[in-house]
Amino acid sequence: MHCEMILDEYRERLPLYRKIREVVLGQLQQTLKENGMVVTGIEGRVKTEKSLSGKLELKGTKYRTIDDITDIVGVRIITFFSDEVDKIAALVEKLFDIDWDNSVDKRKMLEIDRFGYMSLHYICRIPAALYSDAEHPEMNQIRFEVQMRTALQHVWANMQHDTGYKSEVEIPIEHQRSLNRLAGILELADEQFSRIRKEINDYRRNVQSLVASGNFDEVPLDGDTFRSYCELRPFQRLAEKIATINQAELYEDSPMPYYKILLRLNMKTIGDVERMRAECSEGAYQLALIQLAGTGLDIVAYSVALQNLCIVKILKMGYGTAGLIHMFEAIYGESDYNATRAERIYQQAVRSNLITTNP
Amino acid sequence: MEVTIKNEGEKTYVTLNGRLDTTNADQFQTDIQPLMTMPKPDIDIDCTDMSYTSSQGLRIFLSLQKSVLARGGKMVMLHMNPQVKEVFDITGFSNIIAIR
Repeated sequence: MHCEMILDEYRERLPLYRKIREVVLGQLQQTLKENGMVVTGIEGRVKTEKSLSGKLELKGTKYRTIDDITDIVGVRIITFFSDEVDKIAALVEKLFDIDWDNSVDKRKMLEIDRFGYMSLHYICRIPAALYSDAEHPEMNQIRFEVQMRTALQHVWANMQHDTGYKSEVEIPIEHQRSLNRLAGILELADEQFSRIRKEINDYRRNVQSLVASGNFDEVPLDGDTFRSYCELRPFQRLAEKIATINQAELYEDSPMPYYKILLRLNMKTIGDVERMRAECSEGAYQLALIQLAGTGLDIVAYSVALQNLCIVKILKMGYGTAGLIHMFEAIYGESDYNATRAERIYQQAVRSNLITTNP
Repeated sequence: MEVTIKNEGEKTYVTLNGRLDTTNADQFQTDIQPLMTMPKPDIDIDCTDMSYTSSQGLRIFLSLQKSVLARGGKMVMLHMNPQVKEVFDITGFSNIIAIR
């Protein structure tokens, strides 16, 4: 009888629960976006009547009214890294009113020699300042649950849910033990992922500061360091000089496609790229001059500066047309046209005295 | 510049014929308007018979590609002759526009 009353109330409130779910999800998605947090997933559900009925059957006496059930609306945020759970929790605390008496940090509930369900559960209300509906002031009173956990915790929780928890048949102890053993491995993996990410971030910060301070010879050339170096706009002056040939618009694009060419040119540090820039800039400009002057082409891409630097470097190193073909193949793939282009550039380079030898 | 647009299933085939320069860039822009609105387009632009493009042409191809990508579509320019390809190469646009 008591449970029936709760179920009747549930049916009556169902549209309101759905509205709460929608508002909460919307607010969370917005705040995550505003704070630049990328998560694996965010999902929300309203407990089905069947599930609520099952819960009431098991623990009905625990609940006096429907308001005592705090997880009819549930939202889950799944993070990539374990240290992000606390950051998300801080955002949730700012956004909603937290019922601290009923919120649980299951990560802290396990004994030191136990492994299992690790998740942070907040019981919340929507503050009126955040959202209110004059026709439904109870929207600010109804509690809902926000669960926060990592992707690995999520996987484990789902597996355990399917195999054990809430199951009508209790599973044998050896299987339970296997699941718990897996929880230990996943906890370790979560910790390792966070540690590795921190080390990578530390490395990036260190490299960025070396790049910013101009200690280029100490900075190994890799995708990350080259990107940081490019943020200093090292090819800007040359690109602008090339643009002035036809008073052209400089179109902003990424020089990153040429990173692989720098590696093929055996460059080991950002210092090597800097030296190429210093040694080959005039040649790169002369090449652009012979190609663009008189064409009337009044738009050039920023990356044309690095393109021409690489071409001049290849020719100065004596790799000739074969070296140029190799470069074009690396960037555009194999094509008969690469040889035509290489030969044309080679002749242009000879004409502008960039090189004096035969290919 | 002659422009032919043909839709076959999910694919759109565009054929260009002639020079694209200041004299016909506006007309070209008008001709390709239908490509600017179709949802999730998949466009092949056959440049076999395109003899030249000016920087106005480059700008139009650039804005077409941006618009196509913004709608989750794709666009590729095919069979450029060496003269047209050179324009893309020396301006650095070979890295910006998808060419095959």
